[in-house]
Amino acid sequence: MNSPTARPLATEPDSPDRASDDTAPPRQPRRPLAAPPIAALVQRKPGDEAPKTAMPDVKADVRHVNFFYGKFQALHDISVPLYDRRVTAFIGPSGCGKSTLLRILNRIYELYPGQTATGEVILDGENILMPGLDLNRLRAKIGMVFQKPTPFPMAIYDNIAFGIRLYEKVSKSELDDRVESALRRAALWDEVKDKLRDSGLSLSGGQQQRLCIARAIAIEPEVLLLDEPASALDPISTQRIEELIAELKADYCIAMVTHNMQQAARSSDYTAFLYLGELVEFDETETIFTHPRVRRTEDYITGRFG
Amino acid sequence: MSAEIAIGRKGRAAGRHGAFGDAAFKTLTLAFAVLVLVVLAGVIASLVLGAAPALEHFGFNFLITEAWNPVTEKFGALAPVYGTLVTSAIAMLIGIPVAFGIALFITELCPNWLKRPLSIMIELLAAIPSIIYGIWGLFVLAPFVQEHIEPALIDTLGAVPGIGLLFQGPPLGIGVLTAGFILAIMVLPFISAVMRDVFETVPAVLGESTYALGATTSEVVWRVVLPYARIGVFGGILLGLGRALGETMAVTFVIGNAHHIHASLLQPGTTISAALANEFTEAVGDLYLSSLIALGLILFVITFIVLALAKLLLIRLEKQAGS
Repeated sequence: MNSPTARPLATEPDSPDRASDDTAPPRQPRRPLAAPPIAALVQRKPGDEAPKTAMPDVKADVRHVNFFYGKFQALHDISVPLYDRRVTAFIGPSGCGKSTLLRILNRIYELYPGQTATGEVILDGENILMPGLDLNRLRAKIGMVFQKPTPFPMAIYDNIAFGIRLYEKVSKSELDDRVESALRRAALWDEVKDKLRDSGLSLSGGQQQRLCIARAIAIEPEVLLLDEPASALDPISTQRIEELIAELKADYCIAMVTHNMQQAARSSDYTAFLYLGELVEFDETETIFTHPRVRRTEDYITGRFG
Repeated sequence: MSAEIAIGRKGRAAGRHGAFGDAAFKTLTLAFAVLVLVVLAGVIASLVLGAAPALEHFGFNFLITEAWNPVTEKFGALAPVYGTLVTSAIAMLIGIPVAFGIALFITELCPNWLKRPLSIMIELLAAIPSIIYGIWGLFVLAPFVQEHIEPALIDTLGAVPGIGLLFQGPPLGIGVLTAGFILAIMVLPFISAVMRDVFETVPAVLGESTYALGATTSEVVWRVVLPYARIGVFGGILLGLGRALGETMAVTFVIGNAHHIHASLLQPGTTISAALANEFTEAVGDLYLSSLIALGLILFVITFIVLALAKLLLIRLEKQAGS
């Protein structure tokens, strides 16, 4: 497995084994054996409108958010937009608050006493940090996938159907369709279609994580939060998850925390660099990885610290 | 450098001693393990030998005879077996939901400052000797049940056809129902402690990912926490059941010790262990004594069957879980 933090990279002139790869969808180049320079990984997709010219809509706007674990302030005045149908990556050394920021967006932190957030997060014109908000509705709108796969202790089918049943009364056949389409979109259908009644725990780690993604998108959320979704997976599973992210981007606003610089560079459109609870720099991923404005960002992405 | 080598040599020499020590230790621990088996076999053998005269005399009828008459030397195990099973069933019926509620409250809902005191107090329930439960049951619980609970049950459930049969007759306070209540309180700390521990093994992130789908606390508990923890929960229930089946002192105090089977739970009855405790001292005559030992054998068999069933179910559950 590649080191999660980028080292000063041994340059390899344009990875040669890319052409041999015919099984993978063409959108995402398969990870070469030796890592190429990070800047070369930044995705430029032909035919895609460049984010520069057509600014996408802001789906969720984080405004002046502070976060406290008890008395300890973990986030300081964070403001960052999350664009619709784009992937925003949050990078930074461990403990910088990137996962914390993600956990604010669906207010999952409120499960624990003593954790408080101030500021605003505007989702579709509504401040979701407002007290009295219906948290269950909010969380149904915002899907989340965690670092460790967390299949529920029930059949594969029921893992997906669980969330749908929480909010919708659907017929058996419609439920079947929804489960199938969620599994298809998570690129898991072909592997599990003959064993939908088996326990979700019987799947491999990579399959479990895709099951969790399928579960999250089955309830048709508007925002997808991915908290290091691939860090517990092997390289092949990681690659499948990244391909999946690239496909899901067409429909969702995705926020992703990652420790893997190359993953951020490959998969995201925007990157936010956090350090010690502060937002150091936010920009298009290409800019962050090629011409970062702040010295500390550059040091981090090139592996000089972190 | 030379010091390091010396240490190395010493270490290796110690290793050789350790090999001998290991072998001795292994033999010793094996002996202890075997000792337990020998004791177990001895208990079974003496139970079977002691029960043999009664079982030969009464044959299979011993199991299905209600009569227990030391004067005419007619003995049957039906009443105590029935009492044992029914009191345990009542204890489980009341104890399981309450223990479940306690465990759930402590793990999922309780404010942090209350967690420890509450856990400790519930665990202390298990530290109360059963004789104390017995005295308390006789002097406090039984009168309370007689004055308040039983009249209410007779007036309400007693009028319902079918289950009304369970709540007939005068409110005596002493009887099968009160014994069930006492047992329920006694098994509570065991079941809730195991359930609490099991709930705490459920990974926080599993709960989080359920909440993240928009589930409410009750949905998280019923659909995810409980299924995840079901094997442990089941184990806790069986632990409580084992305790309820064998509990002697407290039950003897409040059950009334009558070798009769009544449809009504309000009437006195007896259990195997209560009968044994009560009557061993006055068991004159070989057949009487042998009949009591035969009761003991039956209790042993019942507990064995319960545990075997539990093991079997657990294996099935584990297979179903698929991991």
